[in-house]
Amino acid sequence: MPTSDLKPNPDETELARRIDPATGEFRVIAPGQTFRSVTEKIARIVLTPETPLGWFALFGVGGAVATMLLVALTWLFLKGVGIWAITQPVAWGFAIINFVWWIGIGHAGTLISAILLLFKQGWRNSINRFAEAMTIFAVVCAGMFPLIHVGRPWLAYWMLPLPFTMNVWPQFRSPLMWDVFAVSTYATISVVFWYIGMVPDFGTMRDRAHSKAAQYIYGLVSLGWRGSVRHWMRYETASLLLAGLATPLVLSVHTVISFDFAVAVLPGWHTTIFPPYFVAGAIYSGFAMVLTLAIPLRKFYHLEGLVTERHIDNMGKVMLATGLIVAYGYGMEVFMAWYSASHWEAFMMWNRMFGPMGWSYWVLIFCNIAFPLTTLWSRRLRTNIAFMFLISLIVNTGMWFERFVIVVTSLYRDFLPSSWGTYRATKWDYMVYAGTIGLFTALFLLFVRFLPMIPMSEIRMMLPGAKITPKKAAEAAD
Amino acid sequence: MSGQKMKENKNTTGAEAAAGAEAAVLKGHDFSRAANDPKSMGALAPAGSSSPMTLAAVREELKAVKGKKYWRSIDELANTEEFQAAVEKEFPSAAQEWVDPVTRRGFMKLMGASMALAGLAGCTKQPDEPIYPYVKAPEDLILGKPMYFATAHPFTTGAVPLLAKSDQFRPIKIDGNPEHPYNQGSSDPFTQGTLLDLYDPDRSKHVTFRGEDREWAEFAQELRLKAAASKDGTGTYFLSSTITSPTLARQWKAVQAAYPKATLVQYDPAVAGTALEGGVSTQYSLADADVIVSLDADFLSGAGFPGFHALVREYADRRKNPEKLNRLYSIESTPTTTGLKAEHRLGLRASEIPAFAAELAKAVGVAGVVAPAYAWTDEQKKFLAALAKDLKAHAGKSVIIPGIYQDPSVAELALAINAALGNVGKTALVSGETTSPVPSDQLAGIKSLVADLNAGKVDWLVILNANPTYSAPADLEFAAAFEKAKTVAHLGSHVDETGQIAHWHIPSAHFLESWSDARAYDGTVSIVQPLIDPLYGGKTAHDVFQTLLNEPGLSAYEAVRETAKSTIKGDFETGWRKVLHAGWIDGTAFAATGSAAKALSAKVPAPAPKDALEIIFRPDPTIYDGRWANVGWLQELPKPVTNLSWDNAALVSGATLTKLGLEEDDIVELTVQGRKVNAPVIVVPGHPDNSVTVHLGYGREFAGRVGSGAGFNAFLIRTAASPFYATGSIKKIEGKWGVAVTKSHFQDHRGARFGQQGTGNNSLEADEAINERGIIRYATLDEYKKNPGFANEGENHPSTDKSVTLFPNWEYNENAWGMSIDMNSCTGCNACIVSCYAENNIAVVGKQQVRIGRNMQWLRIDTYFEGDLAAPRAHFQPMACQHCENAPCEQVCPVGATVHTPEGLNAMIYNRCVGTRYCSNNCPYKVRRYNFLLYSDFETESLKLMRNPDVSVRSRGVMEKCSYCVQRISAAKIDADKENRPVRDGEVVTACQQACPASAISFGNLNDKQSHVAKLQSDERSYQVLADQNTRPRTKYVAAVLNPNSELQDTPVEHSPVKG
Repeated sequence: MPTSDLKPNPDETELARRIDPATGEFRVIAPGQTFRSVTEKIARIVLTPETPLGWFALFGVGGAVATMLLVALTWLFLKGVGIWAITQPVAWGFAIINFVWWIGIGHAGTLISAILLLFKQGWRNSINRFAEAMTIFAVVCAGMFPLIHVGRPWLAYWMLPLPFTMNVWPQFRSPLMWDVFAVSTYATISVVFWYIGMVPDFGTMRDRAHSKAAQYIYGLVSLGWRGSVRHWMRYETASLLLAGLATPLVLSVHTVISFDFAVAVLPGWHTTIFPPYFVAGAIYSGFAMVLTLAIPLRKFYHLEGLVTERHIDNMGKVMLATGLIVAYGYGMEVFMAWYSASHWEAFMMWNRMFGPMGWSYWVLIFCNIAFPLTTLWSRRLRTNIAFMFLISLIVNTGMWFERFVIVVTSLYRDFLPSSWGTYRATKWDYMVYAGTIGLFTALFLLFVRFLPMIPMSEIRMMLPGAKITPKKAAEAAD
Repeated sequence: MSGQKMKENKNTTGAEAAAGAEAAVLKGHDFSRAANDPKSMGALAPAGSSSPMTLAAVREELKAVKGKKYWRSIDELANTEEFQAAVEKEFPSAAQEWVDPVTRRGFMKLMGASMALAGLAGCTKQPDEPIYPYVKAPEDLILGKPMYFATAHPFTTGAVPLLAKSDQFRPIKIDGNPEHPYNQGSSDPFTQGTLLDLYDPDRSKHVTFRGEDREWAEFAQELRLKAAASKDGTGTYFLSSTITSPTLARQWKAVQAAYPKATLVQYDPAVAGTALEGGVSTQYSLADADVIVSLDADFLSGAGFPGFHALVREYADRRKNPEKLNRLYSIESTPTTTGLKAEHRLGLRASEIPAFAAELAKAVGVAGVVAPAYAWTDEQKKFLAALAKDLKAHAGKSVIIPGIYQDPSVAELALAINAALGNVGKTALVSGETTSPVPSDQLAGIKSLVADLNAGKVDWLVILNANPTYSAPADLEFAAAFEKAKTVAHLGSHVDETGQIAHWHIPSAHFLESWSDARAYDGTVSIVQPLIDPLYGGKTAHDVFQTLLNEPGLSAYEAVRETAKSTIKGDFETGWRKVLHAGWIDGTAFAATGSAAKALSAKVPAPAPKDALEIIFRPDPTIYDGRWANVGWLQELPKPVTNLSWDNAALVSGATLTKLGLEEDDIVELTVQGRKVNAPVIVVPGHPDNSVTVHLGYGREFAGRVGSGAGFNAFLIRTAASPFYATGSIKKIEGKWGVAVTKSHFQDHRGARFGQQGTGNNSLEADEAINERGIIRYATLDEYKKNPGFANEGENHPSTDKSVTLFPNWEYNENAWGMSIDMNSCTGCNACIVSCYAENNIAVVGKQQVRIGRNMQWLRIDTYFEGDLAAPRAHFQPMACQHCENAPCEQVCPVGATVHTPEGLNAMIYNRCVGTRYCSNNCPYKVRRYNFLLYSDFETESLKLMRNPDVSVRSRGVMEKCSYCVQRISAAKIDADKENRPVRDGEVVTACQQACPASAISFGNLNDKQSHVAKLQSDERSYQVLADQNTRPRTKYVAAVLNPNSELQDTPVEHSPVKG
């Protein structure tokens, strides 16, 4: 190869472009942002009296689909869970699949807000607020399912340890019981964390609001935030403490949910690999969902400067890492089916792959492994916004199918061949599932319209002006 | 209820109860306070009895006024005088209005009053049914303590002696009479199903003439006048179902004496044209039969076969002990459980069987047999040779049983073979008498009736419990001929196809509502004793015939007593009471006096050409000839072998399906002699090729809310010339039928796709069940002798190791309930399932729900086909909750709705259940059943009467499952506690166990080492299903041991020995 053909390594210039000269660190947000521009940009989305037409259009669609959920639930409560496809032997269906799927999605928000905070990943700041919002709305959708999937929903409160005159008590050996605690704790911590994180921004909103109502409401929720050092100190401490509380939840909630399956005797459920593999899967699908939300959002509200390619790229990397753990999980299931020499496991695996519902397994393999884990290695593809949006949808589909495969293909052909059956979802199943997506969309749009979707305070802290390195401080002191 | 306990009960209440029942049933319930109040009786009796018409008219008004609550108590239901008296006493002023002829003024006042009352009722929260407590309790009634009465189910092929359980004078469960020598306490699906038939809300309720309500007396008078006008009965015709009652026969003979020209035709579609139409005369005794040969006889799986209960019992007795094994050969067309249980099964087309029987007769040395020439295959020849050799080796200790739905020559040949082998008098008992007291040629009878109808000779046609419009041979065009009768009266339980077009319709009383008698298979005369007043004022054939006699008002009760006078020996009243108590008349069994030396009269028909498509007609295994089409239990019951529910279908072999280019569930058009019907097609393993079986009894138009519209009407292509198999054609037409099969169908999962386990022609389910999973374990006799512990050996067949547990083991100190099921005895007849329905108030869910797998039976019979699907062996495994000691379901319930009792029952607390269904997912046996929707009927009044008061009726969203009949355990424990003793072995009998004709199910206390069940469970052949899951099931299965003929061992099934 002639030397004349050698060109400077594009990566070097690329690298240079990605480093913030002011701090010498990797750039998180686009250059040229100031305190004012950041605040303006984010606060205006909320405080503007002009709601974009596109918002109304999307909210209309989301609301309509959420209304369908209302119809489906009304019919469900009138008739019973028999309107769904669940049957013998597949007694759990869409409700549990959707529950696990939504809960999994929520995990990315908590991971971003808690674990990445503790690990001082500054890039999390641009995305953590709406990721947390996503968590909460996902938990809302998820939390609905355990309540509606029981046969007598008006008695679902019996799963709580309430001191009744009836003197009955929940059965603590049941993983469903553990779910109740895991999910309710998770929902509480997430909401508190989210709210505390928003308090400084509420102060900003209160100060910038023009209408009386907005001033009043933001004033109320800002809890008297004045931005004093004492406030900031307490705020930071609270955030750290909550992050500390939330961090184990990232691991524990989905671990507990995986126990719903792992504790059972059913081949395909009864496996020790479920907890790590569920947690990884949850984060995998959660980041996919953050991408699904972030990409249209930054485009629509012109937030490319705040949610940059770097964010997309980083999320792609997290997905690659968690996707590999998930792939390892799948691999281990197959390996153990062979290595255990257990006929139950071997048959389950064969049936999962090649049985009448084997197609679902291959959909899962394609969506979760074959496609994302071969492409996400490429930085070029990771920074290709359209591609990342596509991959986020594919991974979300794949993770839904993962739960479908676990729930349905383990159940439909279990121990006694005489009881083998099948599962075919009804329109009510689809309506409830689609309805929760509608509800999620509607809630998220309300969030985008009325709350600052990117934490202004935290972004401001990342601006070069806010950076005081110890060295510089020492120099200034000299 | 156990034999012992029943005896006690009967000792204390028996004689009085029998006498009491007479009085109570005949005169209404003598326990109401009004009835015991002489003043009100005296004052009101004349008013009630002097103007019956007025009273009836007012009752009609009363009904209209009351709206949807049709009746509120048994008294009101029965509309007895006592009830009227009670009502009148309570509202003396209104009562006067009621018994007066209805005036406009009175009517307006009543209407006004009821409107006002309705308004008042709307303001309160009180229940709208008045509650009448017993002011004076009947002497023999202890609330909560059921009473038992002996009665019998009069069935076409012989009565089934019964012991009926009555709770507060409502029959709520019927089971075989444990003391009767014939069935010894066992029953069958049909008999169990008749209970629901009694309470069927669609039964007809009024006597009608051209759709208008009339009175029985008007009908009786018209019939009597007509007959009297004709002097000798010319033009009066009766069309009855097969008469099995000696009393009815006696009454008919009296009618005939008075009106010699009156004609009686009997027609029962299931037996017309068979060797049975004249009644059963040959009985088989299998106790001493070492070799049993079935010539298309399905004697193991349904009450349709005469002697079913005794045959199954005697067959099963020999199967329980490997030392005494018999050997069953089956030569059959439509696969039945008899064939699939057989050691050796030869699948032949129905038309080949007479010829094969003739060959067999020749081979064993029957003289004078002419066998039609036929190209038998080598396999068939080999089978014949081996069979003949085996039979000769067991001369005198073998039996040939002919099928009833075969050419009559098969029955004759079978008798000849039995005679040649010296079996007659030993295993085949020929009697001079028959179960039918008026034998007739039914097909000829209905043909001549149609001819007379067409000739205009019929003035009056009285149809007694038959439905010829639906079930007459299609070529007779009965419905068209029907129009030509001047007057047609129909006595029937429903306004069925015939009732719809008959001029008169008279509601018929159920056998639990009326007196009669009938002969069982062994000839004993059983008294059919009613347990309840007719719910809808039904009448019986006895009443119809009696109308034409000297004492037209004589009740059936008197008539039955009259008949019994000739058979009861000694003092009649004492004898009668004893008979009512026991249920049958001693000394009426057939004597085996008949001669077998009948010449072979019929010519043996030649088989149809091999390429001709043969269509076989059989009565349905669950709803018989259609008479039980409206019985939800029987409709939903999965049929033996096919597991089809709610439909009949064209059953074909896999090869025929492929040849015709069909798929399962496709709709085909079946044609016989130009007559067509559309049917769904499903595959049955082992069905002969080029042959289609269709079951009769479906496609009812006017069966009721349950049965109308289910299936297709195979009677449309069934002619008088060929009632049991015909040559026809089959054609695919567009569309899918949507059949409901309760197990996953092996067809879906066959094939040799990549990674497929097992070979393509086997059933994947059975490969799985029999091999690695060890769900079905069996051995041949030789294998068993070599290795008696075969059922519990090998790495996948462990027995429970109690040390493998996280939680400490519970000590069972008193009772430890357990069950043992003998896999060698179970014939898959389904009696247990229907018994379970009745005992445990199980809901019927309907076809669509069954299709998606939501059937609610607590007990199911798992069927696994082994080997080549063209010539399979099947294994029938009753599967219900196993009551695991280490139950996976209990651990996962978040609310503790399923828990363990200190006696080892896995209990389900319906009130506590919130319905997460986790227990079902975690149940390895998938025996839990869930109320996905509101399946139980809380509305229909008549069904409320039928419920077992000891078992709750489950609502929507609740899990349920087999409870080992915990209510029966509790009852036995209470009895034992009162006597301060432990529960005795055999005192607790579960509903399934009680019904089982094979006694395949044993139940009892495992801690009592002397108990039957403990002994069976400690047998080395006993194994636990899925023991490797460490669930420690309390139900154990006794592995089957087969006794194949070594010469035929490689055909038709190659037995893969148990893996270990």
